[in-house]
This record gives sequence, structure tokens and C-alpha cells, in this order.
Amino acid sequence: MAPFLDYIQFVLAPQMITGLSLGVAVVLVALGLTIIFGLLDVINMAHGEFYAMGAYLALALGAAGVNFWLLLVLVPLIMVPIGYVVERGLIQRVFNSPDRHVTTLLLTFGLGLVVEEGLKIVFGPNTQRPPTPISGAVEVLGVLLPNYRLFLIVVGVAIVAAVALVVNKTRYGAIVRAAAYDRNMAASLGVPVSRVFALTFAFGVALAALAGVLLAPIYSVFPTMGRDFIFLAFTVVIVGGMGSIMGAVIAGLVITQIQALASLIVSPVWGDPIVFSVMVLVLVMRPQGLFGRLGHA
Amino acid sequence: MRDPSTVLVRPVQDRLTLAMRASHVLVAIFVALALAFAAIGVAIDDTFYLRLATEALIFSGLALSVDILLGYTGLLSLGQALYFGLGAYVSALVLQRVPSFWAAMAAALVACVIVGALAGLIVYRVRGVYFALVTFGLAQVAAKAVYNTRELGASDGLIGIPVVPVDLGFGTVQSNAPAGFFLITLGVIVVLYLAVAYLFETPFGRVLIALRANERRVPFLGYSPRAARLAAYVLAAVVAGLSGALYPMLRGFVSPELLFFSTSGNAIITVVTGGVGTLAGALYGGVILTVLKSVIGSWTPHHLVVIGLLFMAAVIFLPKGLMGLVRPWIERLLRRTAR
Amino acid sequence: MKPVLEVRGLGVSFGVLRAVDDVWFDAEPNAITAVIGPNGAGKSTLFNLISGQLRPTVGRVVLDGADVTVRSPHLLQRAGMGRSFQITNLFFELSVFENLRLAAQRLESKRRMLLPVGRPGPARSRVDELIARFDLSAKAGDLAGGLSHGEQRRLEIAVAMAARPSILLLDEPTQGMSHADTLDTARLIRDLSRDVTILLIEHDIGVVMDISKHVVVMQHGRKLAEGPPAVVRADPAVQAAYFGHA
Repeated sequence: MAPFLDYIQFVLAPQMITGLSLGVAVVLVALGLTIIFGLLDVINMAHGEFYAMGAYLALALGAAGVNFWLLLVLVPLIMVPIGYVVERGLIQRVFNSPDRHVTTLLLTFGLGLVVEEGLKIVFGPNTQRPPTPISGAVEVLGVLLPNYRLFLIVVGVAIVAAVALVVNKTRYGAIVRAAAYDRNMAASLGVPVSRVFALTFAFGVALAALAGVLLAPIYSVFPTMGRDFIFLAFTVVIVGGMGSIMGAVIAGLVITQIQALASLIVSPVWGDPIVFSVMVLVLVMRPQGLFGRLGHA
Repeated sequence: MRDPSTVLVRPVQDRLTLAMRASHVLVAIFVALALAFAAIGVAIDDTFYLRLATEALIFSGLALSVDILLGYTGLLSLGQALYFGLGAYVSALVLQRVPSFWAAMAAALVACVIVGALAGLIVYRVRGVYFALVTFGLAQVAAKAVYNTRELGASDGLIGIPVVPVDLGFGTVQSNAPAGFFLITLGVIVVLYLAVAYLFETPFGRVLIALRANERRVPFLGYSPRAARLAAYVLAAVVAGLSGALYPMLRGFVSPELLFFSTSGNAIITVVTGGVGTLAGALYGGVILTVLKSVIGSWTPHHLVVIGLLFMAAVIFLPKGLMGLVRPWIERLLRRTAR
Repeated sequence: MKPVLEVRGLGVSFGVLRAVDDVWFDAEPNAITAVIGPNGAGKSTLFNLISGQLRPTVGRVVLDGADVTVRSPHLLQRAGMGRSFQITNLFFELSVFENLRLAAQRLESKRRMLLPVGRPGPARSRVDELIARFDLSAKAGDLAGGLSHGEQRRLEIAVAMAARPSILLLDEPTQGMSHADTLDTARLIRDLSRDVTILLIEHDIGVVMDISKHVVVMQHGRKLAEGPPAVVRADPAVQAAYFGHA
């Protein structure tokens, strides 16, 4: 009995808790992605770069003396107009092309390239690490957990809950869901559809940037940082059902747990293949993902 | 009342054939320019530019495979680098043991058919966005696997691939001869182009085109959309793999970067800028991109900003790329001469 | 005469809703059988069951004596079933000629799948025949997407019958047509029925009664009545349900 308990305490529990903090991080990145897809039907390939922009903004403003807590509000606010302009100036232009999925995917892929290279020009190619805003550690279930990771988990849960509340319970959320369900009907009811689309895109971008601010102290800041997360985030969005917030949360937590626990058995190198297998399995059995789309119940 | 003169004009009933003929004209011009380039290269005893151009041609082959899927079958693959890399690695492994051009090409072909068919069994179930992301994931996994396999040289790749004599029947060309191998590569890419162009002019190829035009109707032509998708996927895998097989002959090494997303991404940029759904666009695009990279690269290391912006402009303003500007003009010319 | 198509007790449920329930009828060769009924009667669902897009919960579909109930659409097509769609479903970015050629290419032998499309052969002559018959010769080189609505509806029928099916399923072929076009199309369909068995869903009752040999009336997913047009027209239940007066 005792070796078994030891295994749980010293091997399993730390893995699961590390997995949980990664899970929350992935969910934060995937959240904006799934909202943008759910409403606009756009695969935002530049999402990882918006996440990186958030991290760099935090880094730069932090170096200029701005307090970390203020950054959590300031950075997303700075990104809202940027996201709005990107949607109005770029995505709207090709929104009605015959193959919207592919065209917008290509366009945002190009945008991602430009942003990534832009970050290299402005901030240089090297990895930087902002100071951890909260130091120290607590013991959770016998596992030593850095306070900042604990804070991340709590804040992550709060953000997801707040976003779900906005989308499902507020008047703005209702408008967004109506526009997602039937664009023309919503327009005929007086919903300013294109402004709603642009604002929602901006909202998704702001969420990505917020994730960047929160995750920078853990995962460091470098120009290609967006790429590392984006495959995992896309997988989470596909498995959870494109456009489903609930799905993204559940898929994000489950997949990172699978990855964390699998790394006990096989080399962590195989983390990506395992995640991919999960994605393929879900796609084969339930092509629409585990949960339905935004506005489509 | 119908104008009597229009009755005399036989309508060109098959626009697809006409468009393909226009592509043939563009590729003929391309080959003529390439031959002239090679002649100049030989005359001034150049090595650098000939080898750069050879590399551009090899990546044009990868772009051609992207165009089979994106431009004709309507499927965006974000992971064609998988087959490019597979062809390159298989070719390198063969060349390390047997210095035979034909053995390397044959092995790459077989490997791509087998892996393409196996992966195709996953991929053919999905389309649209899901197709893009599954192909992306497959390539990502393959890249990771190669990167971590010591037998394949891990992150260093395979180095020291020997120079290979290319036996053409009437003579032999060494793979390190700049002009000679440029011509070999040109030959391979043109053969790939002709094979693909031929296939799209057969009932088989037209089913793929139908898939892009309106997938929902395809079953009611008596064809399974999934089977058609699988066929297109394997075809594209083979084209990418045969192009990739030339890479170690030119460079003498292969590295895991060949399988990375940036390789797939570059091929997409090439096709979109050159012209989606034109085949010729892949060839021109490869050269244009290489020229841009070296010209802009001589001013700034951040040439990707410019290329990214050009690519975005092409997506927004030129849905058929540069060939979209030129090809309709040639089509009109051909229609007039056919009268 | 042996029927070309036999629909035997076909039904499908979506949850508790029985969209189509225990429908039986036959389609006689070289004649028009029409399925009519008010909106929501289950006509289109019935069509989707027959043509393989939906799987029936119960019942069988028999084509030329062979049970084809669970075959996928492309295999049904090969077995001799052609269908058109209520919402025009063409290759809009391809020419009229190419739409027809694609639809007719199954007439060629398998070996020719990898030979150039330009060669003369059964597919090519079938296309020429259809272009003449459907009066599309002036438009052969135009993109299908550029045709008028009436022309697109005509092409829709031509595409459906290009591979010489043994039965042709037409889903509201006159949908959205002007009165004159409707009459022309009805005449065309009647002419076609000399060579091919036709199963027709139609909203325009006048059209149906004039050209059909056999009429099946549906209501709430069930068969309400069937028989020759005159008999069905006189049926009091049909009068009440469909014509809106008792």
C-alpha cells in the first residue's frame, strides 16, 4: 500500500498539477481561437503571434516601470483596437470570397509571418524572461507548487468563467450568438453585424494577448513563442468542437493531463504524437468535435 | 436576334482544356528562359546562381504538389513538407549505400506512395479546415519523430551524401556539376508538371476538379469523394517526394528543417503568389520567391516581412496570383488562333 | 410489367419524429410517377432515403430487382439511379459542356479514366445529344454559374440523366420557374419519360396531373393515397388535405 501512495504523492500528483497549469495556459490561448472561429468562421493562424505580441508588450511596458497588475488590464486594452483594425482592414476584405476558410487561413498565416518577423526586428531574436510577479511556493497535496502557477490556475479559471458569462448571459453575448447563428437574420433585426464581427475578433485577440502577459513569466518570451502553443491550442479547439467554449476548456484540461501522464510512461518527446492521435481519434469518431458550435447549441 | 457573326464562332466548350493549354505555353516560356539561363551560366562559368536556381526548382516541385491539392482539388495542405522531407531522407539513405540516381528516385516514389496511402486513410475522412489541421499535425509529428531519431542524425540530419552520377542512357552527369544538375532538375520538374497536367485532362483528374467545384454533387456522378480525395493526396505526396529526393543530391545533406512547417508554409506562399490552380504558377512562384529572397536579403535579414506582406496582398488582390494576370490573356490568344 | 423501383415500407425517425412512415409504392418503367403533398409532408426526406443520402430506419428500396437500401449515393448512381436537386446543385465554375461531360463520363470504359478527355467516345456523343435535346447549344461554353435560372434548372435535369440512369429522380424540377418555363419543362419531362423511368416530386399540381401516370400523395410522412391522376384528384381525403377543401 505504502509504495502505491508514495507513487501517487511523489510521481502522479506533481505530474498532474504541472499538467493542470499547462492545461489552463492552453485553454487561455485556445479560448480566443475558438470564439473567433465560432463567430466568424475564421481560422486565425496569427493567433499565436497575437499571444506573442501580448507577452512582448508586457515585457516592454514592464521594463518601462508599469506594474504587472496594471499590465493585465492595459495590454488587452491596447490589443483591442489592433484586432479591430486587422478584422476591418484585412479579414473583411476576403470574408465573402468563395472559400472563406482557406482564404482567411492564408491571410492570417501571412499576417502571422509579418508579425513574427516584426517582433524580431523590434525586440531582437533572443529569449527574454520577465521577473515572476509573485514569488514563493505553497505545498498542495504534498507537492511544492510555485505561487505564480497557483495564481495562474485561479486567474485562468476566473477568466474562462467571465468569458463564458459574457458570451452566454449578457446582451452583447446574445447579439454575438445571434450573428453567429444566422448572419442575415441578425442584420435584418438591426444588429450591426460587421462591427460585431470586428469587435469579437478584437476580443479574441485581446484574450490571446492576455494569455501572453500571464504566461510570459513561466514560458519566457521569444519571437517564435506563438508557434509552440498554437498546435496544442488548435488541437484543443478541434477536439472540443470548433467554437465551443465548454469544449475548449474540457479538451484543454483532458489533453494536457493525457500528455502529462503519458510522459511518465514514454519519453516526453512523444507528447505531440500522443496529442495528435487524440485529435485524429476524435475527428474520426465525431468530426464535429465533442461539443457543438457557438450559437448552434 | 442573334448576330450572325457570333454563330460562326465555335464556342470553346472546354474551358479547362483551354486553361491547361495556356499553362503549357507559360511553362514552355519558363523552360526556354531556364535554358537560356543555363547557357549564360555555363558561358560565364557560374556556380552560385546555377545552384541557387536548382534549389528554387526543387522547391517549385513541392509547390506543384501543393497546387494539386489547393488549386485543383480544393484542399489546403499545411503539411506537404512531410513528403518533401520523406523523399529527401529516403533518397539520402539510399545514396549513402548505392550511388544511383534512379534507385534513389524509385525508393522515394515507393516510400511516398506507401506513407501517402497510410496517412491518406486518416486524411481522406476530413475536408476543409480539418484537412488543413490534420495535415499540419501529421507533418508536425513526423518532424518531431525525425528530430529525435538518432539513426536519422536527429537535429543534425544526414550529412556527407556522396556525389551521384546521373546515368541518362546517352551520357552521365555528375550531381555536383552546376549546369548539368540544373538541367536534370529542370527535366524532373517538367516531367512532373507534364504528368500532373496530363492527369487533370483525364476523366480521373476531372473528378478531382469536380471535388473542388462542388463536392456535394460528386457522389451523384458515381464517384466517392473520399476515394477521390485519397487519390489526390497520394498523387501530391508523390510529386512532393520526388522533388525532395533531388535535394540531397544538390546539397549533400538533409536536415529535419525540411519537414518543418516553414517548408510547407513557403510552398503555400509560392503557389499563392505564383497562381493557385495554374500549375505554371508553382514554377514561376518558386523562382520569383527565390529571387525576392536573395534581392531583399541583400538589404535586410528580415526579408520575411516583405514576403509576408506581398503574400497577403496576393491573397487579397490576386486570388489567382501572378499567373491569374497573364494566363487569361494567353487563353484569349489561343482561342483566337483555334478559330 | 416489372417495376423499375420498388419502395417497400420505407420509414425514418429523427428522435420521436417519424419524418417518413411506412411508405410503399412502385415506379413503372418508362412512365412518370409523381410524389405530391403539402410542405413538410416528407417528400424530400423520402427522396433522400431513396437516393442514399439518408439511411432508412425501416423498409427497403429495390432497384431493377436488387436491394439497394443501404448503398451510398455514388454506388446507387452506378447501379442506375440519377437524381436532380431542388436547390440547383451544379459545378457553377465549370462550363455547361464540362458539367455534362463529367456527368456522362461513367459511360466510358474504366480504362479510359486515364486517357485524355478530349477524345470522341460514348461520353462525348452523349454530351452532344444532351446539349441538343435540352437546347443548350448556344450556352455550351458558358459557365454554369452564368446561366439564367431556367437554364440552370434544365441543365440540372440534363446532368442527372447524362449517365443513362434506369430511373431519374427529379426533385421539384420547375422550382422557381416562370409559368411559361414551367410548361416547357413539363413537356420536356414528358418527352424524357419515353426513354427513362421518372420519379418526380412536384409542387405544381397542374404539372403533375397532366404528365404523370401514377400519383402518390403524402401527408405527415405517410402515404395518403395513390393511383392514376384522375382517381387521386377525386379522392375526398386528398381533396381535404391537399386542395384545402372537403
